[in-house]
This record gives sequence, structure tokens and C-alpha cells, in this order.
Amino acid sequence: MGEPGDLLAEYSQLAGPDEMFDRDGGIRTNYAHLGARLKGWGERDYHARQAAADLDQLNGGVTFTVYQDDAGTERIFPFSLIPRVIGATEWARIEAGLVQRVAALNRFLADIYTQQRCVTDGVISADVLGGAEGFNLRAMGFVPPLGVYAHIAGIDLIRDQGGEYRVLEDNVRTPSGVSYVLENRRTMLNAVPDLFPAGAVASVDDYPDRLLDMLVSVRPDSVSAEETRAVILTPGQANSAYFEHSFLARQMGVELVEGRDLVVHDQRVYLRATTGLERVHVIYRRVDDEYLDPLVFRPDSILGVAGLVDAYRSGQVAIVNAIGNGIADDKVIYRFIPDVIRYYLNEEPILPNVDTWVGTHPEDLAHIIEHLGDLVLKPANGSGGYGIVIGPQSTRAEIEEARERVRAHPSGFIAQPLQEFSTIPTFNGTRLEPRRADLRPFVVTGATSWVLPGGLTRVAADSESYIVNSSQGGGSKDTWVLRGRGEA
Amino acid sequence: MLSRVAENLYWLGRYLERAENVARLAAVNYRASVEERSPDEDEAVLWDALVQAIGSDAAYAEAAGSERDLSSGEWLIFSARNPGSLVSTITRARGLARELREHISREVFEEINLLYLASDESAASRGLRSYTATVQRGVAATMGLYDNTVLFDEGGEWLRCGMFIERADMTSRIIDAKYYMLLPSLADVDGPLDRYHWLAILRSASAHEAFRKRYRGSIRGTRVAELLMLDSAFPRSLRFCVSALERHYKLATAGTPRMRALPVARELALMDLELGSTSTGDIMTSGLHEFLREFQVRVNRVHTTITDEIFHAVPASMP
Repeated sequence: MGEPGDLLAEYSQLAGPDEMFDRDGGIRTNYAHLGARLKGWGERDYHARQAAADLDQLNGGVTFTVYQDDAGTERIFPFSLIPRVIGATEWARIEAGLVQRVAALNRFLADIYTQQRCVTDGVISADVLGGAEGFNLRAMGFVPPLGVYAHIAGIDLIRDQGGEYRVLEDNVRTPSGVSYVLENRRTMLNAVPDLFPAGAVASVDDYPDRLLDMLVSVRPDSVSAEETRAVILTPGQANSAYFEHSFLARQMGVELVEGRDLVVHDQRVYLRATTGLERVHVIYRRVDDEYLDPLVFRPDSILGVAGLVDAYRSGQVAIVNAIGNGIADDKVIYRFIPDVIRYYLNEEPILPNVDTWVGTHPEDLAHIIEHLGDLVLKPANGSGGYGIVIGPQSTRAEIEEARERVRAHPSGFIAQPLQEFSTIPTFNGTRLEPRRADLRPFVVTGATSWVLPGGLTRVAADSESYIVNSSQGGGSKDTWVLRGRGEA
Repeated sequence: MLSRVAENLYWLGRYLERAENVARLAAVNYRASVEERSPDEDEAVLWDALVQAIGSDAAYAEAAGSERDLSSGEWLIFSARNPGSLVSTITRARGLARELREHISREVFEEINLLYLASDESAASRGLRSYTATVQRGVAATMGLYDNTVLFDEGGEWLRCGMFIERADMTSRIIDAKYYMLLPSLADVDGPLDRYHWLAILRSASAHEAFRKRYRGSIRGTRVAELLMLDSAFPRSLRFCVSALERHYKLATAGTPRMRALPVARELALMDLELGSTSTGDIMTSGLHEFLREFQVRVNRVHTTITDEIFHAVPASMP
């Protein structure tokens, strides 16, 4: 290796916007400090720091389980050193938008499982509701404590060509990833403490306390806050997010349990302890609805607890997140969330959706049929087995064929424009390259909502990819929310 | 404490102790195999004795039948196909540690995880001595960190119960594997060959230096047997292990309904009393091998009763 070059100076952008650099290659204000610290870093510097960061995560067992592998191999989530940086004003707006969205989703869920006024008033048509997945009859007629369903929400955001943050997807069932936010920060502070602007980055350490406070706040009426016993229910060590379940239990000091550790007697839930049975009041479950209780859902499930749903509905135990939330993060319902916000809150959405047209809606269907050549066509649910059609990259014959399929089965499809979203510089082993990235902030809601500053920034596996999922080889970055001044 | 968690901690203690014992035995064997040994004794014999001592000789015979080059040393240390090998034991301990992360400190998990990361395919290529040394140091560091970074609560008592029951079992097996050597020595004069064997046995139990402190003069079979079985201050002796087990079991079951905790408590008290009131001479007279077999059976019964009565019992009454 010769004289090390400055990798930052050799960076070249993609067609879409970049988080760190403006169009002319100037470093944006929020990244000014970082740019100054990274100036002069060559390949060897990045290698050394990357190796330190990877070793930190490997030794700490910060891993996820790869399912395809017979051996159940654990991998570290590829970690990338250059963080996403968000200014304070910019963040305040995102925060307000997230709180607003979660409030509307909770109102929507409470309505859907009781009076369904939104259907009577035409916000969601009966057809759309009928075609959506995730509606759970077992949740009907029951309102959980404080009227909260989506206690923990992970709302995926992207930043579009114009620099605007848009909601790509709502996750209000059992969103994961928050442990990586906390561990990524720890790794950054261990491996590259010198990159941090002293005292200017908002801490993420508060999450476990906020989570525990929320769990206690939704306890059954019959128990005091001091006596409340909360637990985390995990499917077990083979689950890909097991690290996170264990991490959160450790950070909050609560018991991590599996279905076989719990037993229900007389609508009350107990732990099987060495000294006898001990009462449980709040369950933060990381087990999907259909596996929770073999008496009401899948009878073959060994992950759940017989009688749990009955105990829940009798108010003797709180379940977090609530049962039935799948309807709120359904792909078709997503299209109508801006209307849902206006309807329940009487406010304009702060964070817009990505434009979406759904086959079940007559006007949308006409738009899809007419503009298919410019759109990305997606199956409305995973079980359809139909592939994705990218209009701008397809032949006339392929588009015509897709059109026929949509006409034959309109409710099976949604369509969106091809979305260019922002990139962040990422070290690829030899140089810095632009990688597309999304952001999953986490919102914790009890009587009020609290947003963890930042969230999980996920990056695609290479410069070409638009997919940021860890199962597709994507990685993650630390996310810095700057405090107060020092931003654009 | 959750029954499943208590049982996992107990097994974590067992696996860590087992790993340390196997590593130590292998290191002693390795030393014996490179140092002088009697001409009629080849290296394989040393290892075979070890395989026999940790109770996997039948499984080894089967594996060696299908894999001609498999030496007993490889089988014992590096073979992933041997569920009792050192590598497998570490892997299991680490699996439990991962499941127990919210009950052990980050430091303890990281230490066990480091051991696991050192137990991959490259372990064999770095050499047996280097690997066993890593394991011995790693287990010692883990236990030290456990003592200094984890709450002294019920969970810690179960871990120590697991540790001492495993150690009691291991020490009795180490003595038993060489009992035939101990017997004739009662009458024999100490030749150089015998001394060499005594040293190997003492080293197998990390007892060499303790022996020197305890006894002046030459190494004799009766003294070795006394130290390893009945000495109340030597931390690997049968008596020490039983006393420690009794103490930690009492602490672990402080909140357990009396009727469920009592059978094991009574048996341990009895064993402790017996070991405190017998002598090496008595044991030799009535049969060392028989004594050791009975000891192992009783230890195993204690294990089974703890599992059934404490870990797997469905509580009969409501709180």
C-alpha cells in the first residue's frame, strides 16, 4: 500500500441525494464536525477502526441467527462506521410526525375493534377492510389499558429526492432492532470515540427505563406500580431476534420467559419458579399473535401459553403490544393512514406517505392500470406468490401481462412510484461508496408517547441495492441526533 | 427464580467445571506423552485411560470404528461428534450462557463467548497444549468474574451446586481410573516408576503443590488417596466438594418448600458426616473401587433428585 489517500475526498455520489454531501460535493452542515474528523483517513485507518468495531460486537455476542443455515449460525449485523446525522430542528419535526402517527394508529385500532366508525364514515371502505390482512376477531370488543395498542412502534422512514422524510412502512406488532441502536452506540464509543462532537449527540441510554415505565403503566388496575411484575416472552434461543429479547430483559432487569415457563390458573398468569408459582402482571411479548395461546390460535403452537388470551381479556394481565395490531400495519391500510390521521386527530399529517395506489380502491385501480409503466407493482400480501414488477424496467409485453393480472385480481396488488432515496457514505473494504439507507425510529407509548432520539439506520448491501433488510446482507449504522445548535 | 433458569445455571456450572477438568486431564496426559514413560506404555494407552475415565469409551469405540485416523486425544478434545468432547462442552456452556444473558453479567458472558470463539476449527491447528491452557484460564477467569460481578443470589448458588457436584464426580473418576495403581502400593516400596505415576495423578487433580504442603516426605499411595478423598481443606477432594455442595444447596433452597428440599439436604448431610468420620485405611480395607462406585451412584442420585424435585416439579398448591 502506498501513501494513504483521503477516502472522503474520493467519494462519488449516486443519482439520488446523499445525506453527507450536497450536489456540489460540499459537506452538509450537520456533518461538518464528522467531515473534519475523518479528513485524511485512508484505507488503513478505516480498516483498523472497522476491525475494532467488528471485534467488539462479536465478543459481545451482538448477533442475529441466520435461518437458512442448518447449524443456526449466528452472524454479526454488518456495522458501518460513518453515522447518519440528524439536526435538532429536523428531528423535532420527525418526532412530532411520529407521535402524531402513532396516536392516530391507536385511535384507529380502538375504533376498528369496537364501533368501526371509520368504516361507517367512509374513511376505510368495507371492501378495503375485508381485503386487508391482520384483522383479528379475538381482539373484538376489548379495549386494553389506557386505550393503547401500539405500545412500541417502529416506523420506517426514507428521505426522498426532495429531502423530505416519508413513512415507508408502519410496524406495530413486534418491531425489532432497538437493541442494535443501543449496541451500535456502545460500539462507536469503544471503537471511534474521537469521531463524536463532545456533548452534542443525544444519548440513547434512556430506552430501557422508558420501556419499563411504560410496561408498568399499563398494568392491571388491581396491582400497584411497586408490585407490578413485568416479563418478556420470547419464542426462544432459535429466534432471529433472541439477542434483542435477552438484551432488553437484562437492561430492564426483568425475567425473560418462554411459553413453558408460564401457566394460567383462574385467568391469572404465573411464573413457574423454584419456590412455587409467582404472579405476572405485564407481558412484553415478542411472540406473534397466532402463537400466543394454543386454545384460541394455532393449537400446535408450543411457544404460547394455554389460557393467556382469556386472562388478557379479563384484564388480569396486560399484553404488549396488543393482540390484533396487524390490521394497522397492513400494506393496503397503509395507503389510508394519512386519511386516518385527518379523521381522528383533525390534523394534517406531518410525515407524508410514499405515494401508494391500492387495487381494492376503484380510483386507485384506474390509476394503476393507466400508469403501470411508470410504477412499481407489489403483491398486497406476502402469501400471493406474485412477483414485483418494476414498470420502468419492463417490456411492453410484461406490462400488458401485469395489467391483466391486476384486472383479474385487483385486491392482490398495490403500486408505488420507483423511489430514489438518500444514501450515506459506507466503507466497502477499499473505499467509501454511497449506500441507500432507511431509518427506523422507535416510539414508546403509555399515557404519552416518547421517541428514542434517532433510531436504527439500516443500509443496503451494495451501491446498486434498494433493499436494506439484514436478511439480504444489509447492515446498520449509528444514528446521531444533534442537540440544540450546530445544524442547518 | 424461574425453574428453567435455575436448572440452566446449574448446568452452566457443571459444564464449566467439566471443561476445566477435561482440559487439565488432557494437559497432564500430554505432558506424560512427551516426557519419559515406561517402555511398555504407549501414548494411546494414556489417552485411552482418560477416555475411560470420563465415561465415553463405548462412543469412542464406535466412532473410531468408522474413522480410522481418529485418535482418542482428538476424540476427547476436538471432536464435534463427541458430545462430551472439550469443544462440545464449551459450545454447550456458551449456548446456556447465551440463554442466561440477563442472569449473568456482560463480563461473564464475554469471557465464555471468547472461549467459544477460540473453540472453532482452528483450535486443533493451534495445538492441544495451547487450547487446553486457554480453556483452563478461561474457566478460571469466568468463575472469578462471576464471583465479582454477579449478585450473590439463588442463581449463583445453583451455579455453584452444579460446579461442585461435577467436581465431586470428576475427582472420583480420576481416582477410580487409577485405583488399580493405588492398591498394590500399600505394601510396595516406592520405586521411581511409582513416583512418576503418583505425580501424574496429583497433577490430574491440581493437587501436586497441595500435597507437598500437606505431607513431608515421599509420595505414597495412601497419602495421595487421603488428600484426594478426605482432606477437608483441599478444594477438589470428595469431602470438600460434598461439604460445599451441602452449603450451597441449603442457600439455593432457602425459599423452597421444605418437603421438596429435604431429601437432598438429608442425603448430603449424611454423606458429609460419613466422609468426615472414615479413614483411608477403612476405605482400602473394604475396597477402594467399590467405595468410589457407591460414591458416584449417590452423587448421581442427588443430581436426579434435584432435577425432579426442584427444577421439574410442578408446584402443587397455589400461592
